[in-house]
Amino acid sequence: MKIRFIKNLLVLGLVGLAGPVFAQYSYFKPLEGFGIEASLSNTSLKRMPMYRNAITSLTVQKDYIIGGTTATGNRAPFLFVASLSKREMLTLKDLNDEVPGQTSIRTGFFRAEDKALYAGTIATATGSGHLLRVVVGADAGIQVTDLGTPVPGEGVFALTGDDRRKMIYGISYPSGFFFSYNIVSKSFKVYKNSGVTPADLAILVHEYHQKPEEFLSGAMITDGQGLVYTSQPINRLVVFNPADESFTTITELPAVWGRRTLGRTESWTKTADGLLYGGNAGDGQLFQLNPSTRKVKNLGKPAMMNRLRGLCVGADGKLYGLSGALPGYVHLFSYNPSDEGFTDLGNPQFILKAPGIEQGIEWRGFQLSTITASEDGKYIVMGEDEALSQLLIFPVDNGSPKE
Amino acid sequence: MLASLCQVWISPAIGQQKISKENIAFIKYVGFPDAHSTWDDIGYSKRFGKVVVGVTNHVDKVVLFDYDVTTGKMTNNGSLADRAHLRPFQWQGKIHSKIIEGKDGYMYFSTDGGESREEYFMEHPAGYAGGFFMKWHPATNDFVNLGMGMQYESVKDIDIDPVSGKLFGVSYPQVHFLVYDPAKNSMKDLGRLGSSHVPRVLFTDWWGNCYYVDWRQRLVKYQTAQDTLLFARESLPAFEGTPGEKIVTGITAYAKDQKNNVIYLITYGAKIVAFYPQKDGIGRVEDLGGVADSRPDVKPYGPYVPNLNIGDNGKLYYFIGGHGNFLIKDRTVMMEFDPRTRKHTIIYEYPVDQLSEATGSDTKDKFGNLYFAGRRQLDSHDRSEPFLIKFNPGKKVSK
Repeated sequence: MKIRFIKNLLVLGLVGLAGPVFAQYSYFKPLEGFGIEASLSNTSLKRMPMYRNAITSLTVQKDYIIGGTTATGNRAPFLFVASLSKREMLTLKDLNDEVPGQTSIRTGFFRAEDKALYAGTIATATGSGHLLRVVVGADAGIQVTDLGTPVPGEGVFALTGDDRRKMIYGISYPSGFFFSYNIVSKSFKVYKNSGVTPADLAILVHEYHQKPEEFLSGAMITDGQGLVYTSQPINRLVVFNPADESFTTITELPAVWGRRTLGRTESWTKTADGLLYGGNAGDGQLFQLNPSTRKVKNLGKPAMMNRLRGLCVGADGKLYGLSGALPGYVHLFSYNPSDEGFTDLGNPQFILKAPGIEQGIEWRGFQLSTITASEDGKYIVMGEDEALSQLLIFPVDNGSPKE
Repeated sequence: MLASLCQVWISPAIGQQKISKENIAFIKYVGFPDAHSTWDDIGYSKRFGKVVVGVTNHVDKVVLFDYDVTTGKMTNNGSLADRAHLRPFQWQGKIHSKIIEGKDGYMYFSTDGGESREEYFMEHPAGYAGGFFMKWHPATNDFVNLGMGMQYESVKDIDIDPVSGKLFGVSYPQVHFLVYDPAKNSMKDLGRLGSSHVPRVLFTDWWGNCYYVDWRQRLVKYQTAQDTLLFARESLPAFEGTPGEKIVTGITAYAKDQKNNVIYLITYGAKIVAFYPQKDGIGRVEDLGGVADSRPDVKPYGPYVPNLNIGDNGKLYYFIGGHGNFLIKDRTVMMEFDPRTRKHTIIYEYPVDQLSEATGSDTKDKFGNLYFAGRRQLDSHDRSEPFLIKFNPGKKVSK
């Protein structure tokens, strides 16, 4: 009887949309959380069309949310600018107009001191990826400079940089070559000994039927000394020292028993104290790396699913991250290193308003691919990875999201 | 138990309709004492003259029934789990989709979690494994499990391209539009089309194109010849002030009039819409107004109509009420709507212990009888009893 009663209330809420919803769980709905409609097909509004809008790179400069997308098939991706304060899309740039033949900007952005953004692309099946320099003007205009192809026949899967050395570092796709780009001399260098070895390929591809996007490092980071951290198969956390151009395996990534083969870094962030936090795609562990001691601490899994696609730091000092992916849902989580540990915030669900839907509709974020913080850390911005992807944003106020 | 249904109160407003209680019958399902409800899971086999319904105990058992429209015989065709060879971890709460006839004579449908376990445990080993596409043959009783749509996702509704046999589905809760070709065992996920609440209804036109809605309540047409999606530029009509949660949920029911090239739609915001499909492009849409005459105590977008049928007389018939949304408090009414004159007439009015909800779209037999999947409330704890509703506006009906 009780079950039926609960069911009745649930149905009232979920199907009839009438009356209060009985819920053993709730969505993450902080006050002042909002969505920006970034994608919509067949419209005169400034929107990205279907299948070209998975938001796989994201950063914020002042009021501007700057994104890069991944398309499906042979379609071309976009660069876009949206306004935090106006809550609307401002600028779209079809990458095909600047660098033809590309399908993905999935590296994230490295932001140099001069505010220029660096990102890499993956081409359609037969082409080569490019390194891009992106500058967003005060008018939200997007200027793209093609810096060339790091590795002929390969795309760019991950990327970071070092302002002091004026260097960009990346991982090629699908072979996994580590490369560097000297911003001053405009020259690339490819470290051919860094690619996935034939022995590892035999295991990963032939034995475990894994694809390059399932074993290559999806994210890199540089510490205060200019050392570059990434992963290499199988499940190795690796540091590149630019001084002697050496690769050193620090340790294995934290793994669940039996699934170390799936281990790879796919997200990083750095806190003010210089500690690095990484996410392991293989089983979704968050880990802390102290670059001074090179000690890795396994902080555990925020949720049951694998993947940990994004990390950033809010003004409240907490880490915010994206745990899980298809076939499950992404769980937004926070991690407070001092006392709180993990908080699983679940699916965010924010109000999305736009011309034609002025009354507002609720948008639930199932598949989020990117997360970043505004420059002051007071806004957390998330991008979706869907056929029609939107932006979801919430403020953090002196310690926690406003509930 | 259904004896009390003889006490159906008939509105004096029937006027020249000459519709009486003899025009409607409530028909029991047999051999399923734990039956609780039905939800939109009704369809008609033209080839074999049978109305097919999926009835659930809303926990863990779904039974497929057929009603022979000629003999009036109701047949229990067994439990879905047994017929589909499901393991316990593949439990299904209900059939939520329409039951649609394919050119091979099979009746196609999909399955849904329909249970708290699906909502709360979600993507977890203790949660819901995912919904299946299935088919059942009314003549041979052959039953085929066509496999799962998406892992952890149910399939809320399906439809079929009568020419190619391709099935269309929509997943819950992530609103993915699926195209499944049983001949090739090819499953295509065309991606997410909705927001936080899944529109429940798909429908097709005469050329095999399939229609759904996006979060702006714009029609989305799967163009079967091109294998692409086409989005309408404009949203379907809505009353001013219609809340966002009603906009995003799209349409609740449809009825087709192929002779006049029109498909009537009812929206979650209680609008009746005439949609004139065309082979290429999105067709014209005409706003026919609300589902009922305006009432001071009811918001125009408030009434809930998860059902629709069209009579041989060209008029639309639907029940208003269910899930807490009524035109008249705690009473379910059956409405007749004439699309030509746009006149509403309440034909029947029932207390919820006689009829609390009716679902189903476009289910009409060769005699012009219209069918709905109904249920009545037994108590305030969501115990209910399902039954088949048979109605004919032009003549008396028998069980």
